[in-house]
Amino acid sequence: MIPRGVRYALSGISWPVYVLLYTPLALVAYYSFSPAPNSTGHSLHAYNILLHDGAVGAALQRSLILAFGSAITSTVLGTLLGYGLCRFRNANAKGFLAHMPSLIIYTPIIMPSLVFGISELIFFNFVHNATGFLSAGLGTMVIAHITFQVPYVALTVFARLSGLDPYLFEASYDLYANGVKSFFYLIVPVVQPAIIGGFLLGITLSIDDFTISFFTSGPGSVTLPIYIYGAIARKGISPEINALGTLMIGTIIALALVHFFITRHRERAGQLAARGKIA
Amino acid sequence: MTFDPPAQAVLSAHSAKRGAISLSGITRIFAGSIAAVDHIDLDIHPGEFFTLLGPSGCGKTTLLRMIAGFEAPDDGRILISGREMQDVPAHKRAVNTVFQSYALFPHLNVEQNIGFGLRMRGIKNPERKKRVDAIMEMMQIGDFAKRSATQLSGGQRQRVALARALVNEPEVVLLDEPLSALDAKLRAELQIELLRMQKRLGMTFIFVTHDQHEALVMSDRIGVMSKGKIQQVGPVLDVYEKPKNVFVAEFLGLSNIWPFTPTGPHTAQTPLGELTIAAPLNGSGLAMIRPEKIWIYNDTAVPKDQTNLFMGVVREAIYMGASTQYRIELANGQSVLAFDTNNQAAERSWRPGEPVAVELKPDNIMQIEP
Repeated sequence: MIPRGVRYALSGISWPVYVLLYTPLALVAYYSFSPAPNSTGHSLHAYNILLHDGAVGAALQRSLILAFGSAITSTVLGTLLGYGLCRFRNANAKGFLAHMPSLIIYTPIIMPSLVFGISELIFFNFVHNATGFLSAGLGTMVIAHITFQVPYVALTVFARLSGLDPYLFEASYDLYANGVKSFFYLIVPVVQPAIIGGFLLGITLSIDDFTISFFTSGPGSVTLPIYIYGAIARKGISPEINALGTLMIGTIIALALVHFFITRHRERAGQLAARGKIA
Repeated sequence: MTFDPPAQAVLSAHSAKRGAISLSGITRIFAGSIAAVDHIDLDIHPGEFFTLLGPSGCGKTTLLRMIAGFEAPDDGRILISGREMQDVPAHKRAVNTVFQSYALFPHLNVEQNIGFGLRMRGIKNPERKKRVDAIMEMMQIGDFAKRSATQLSGGQRQRVALARALVNEPEVVLLDEPLSALDAKLRAELQIELLRMQKRLGMTFIFVTHDQHEALVMSDRIGVMSKGKIQQVGPVLDVYEKPKNVFVAEFLGLSNIWPFTPTGPHTAQTPLGELTIAAPLNGSGLAMIRPEKIWIYNDTAVPKDQTNLFMGVVREAIYMGASTQYRIELANGQSVLAFDTNNQAAERSWRPGEPVAVELKPDNIMQIEP
């Protein structure tokens, strides 16, 4: 039992932390409602400008194409990777080898995105110089975003699958399902929450990403984060940038909430499945 | 019910052999260890309840998994209903397994779990539902058809797992210790239910267990396994009453075992003294007698002129409800284990220290191999 004094002290500390976390975000939202020129009071002026700014629209469109394109692809690839790593791991592996699958998945996640972005840049340049393919643009950005999203999806799928009764796979084979049917009638439905969660996480990571996008983008592939960076570099932080930031904060919070509810549902289902296991 | 095995499995019409299993020279060696299954030859008859009995790690589950197709033998042949199984993958074999953990699909309800096999075989809904409903009624699990498999009790899950196998009308049902997770009372109920179901459907059941009592209750025939080899195969009564060797004798129940050297056609010298043995003696060996086949007398009421009668003192009496287990020390220091039913508890029960006589009837003494 934690003494009451300590409890009060801890909750006393927590509030300043929350303030520290959310005040900057609130400020961005506050400044986005700044008054229109030659008038006073809050207004939606900045949003109005944003709405009619073709460059912003184009950047948003590219960001969405990038986010959905990379998230869909990396969800498929990550699901297959997670499945493969779980299903075909060596049951007799010991020590380091037993942890190989997790290490393979984790390493790209903990890699600093700066290093990741530069290495992608070097790689794409190399391929471009050698073959003429992969010139910097939305294409290379999609590939780069896929590479950093796949581990997240694979990790969630892998975690879900390795928590399952291994005899489930055999049970499906025993009940006349071949490998493909077993994948679509057993694996996919069972890991579905993990797949959806991985997909949403991929979208948020992609929309959010600046570093890797910056190094892999080309002249014609300015996405929202790159546009914002450029706009700030040129003329400082304008109300339009704040408005854009506010919209992004809102979208990310919405996606995070969806992800939270799906994960919670999955955890609850997982708990039930765990309870279903024999002691 | 009509038979509808998967189309791929019906390659030839060996209807007479439907449900027969024939294993010859089956061997399975796991990497870097001794053979888990070592040259096993075994024939399982159509429609019989066959039990593979043995301690954990004896290879019985590995053998079952090879019949199911989850593992391939390193050597030997498996015939199911007369058909060679070497190139037939698990999903094309007309056998279904009840797993020890039940392995019910967590994303499906009871009804969908049971219908999974039919669905994978492409059996469409009016027919599928009819068959699922029929089996659920037979197993008395219709009440929770819509419940998630994760919300069932142990006994209910066991029934669903069995229904999920039986609904496919397989040629052979494989059961891997399906009752081991249940409490004793439920277990006893389900043993009887399982047996009744098997007799009613006439399917071949291969049941794996390490519980000798379960094996005795349920089986038509038992194969006792140890260290990857089959020690003895035979009807329940034979395996229990006439065990081939020490391992089988001791695994199936308590026993008294003494070495003997023959002194005549039906007499032999043992540590107890000279014993008369009805069975023809075949050189020196081991003599075995089950404790319940030993008669105990009060020392005041010892019958006259009986063979194999020894005087002794009760050293240990373990009351077990229906019977009592005694350890009786004979005059020459040897111990004899004996059971006596408690049908007349007052007169026929002895306390440690009481003098008694024991009789080993010549008919009940078996010669076994080491």
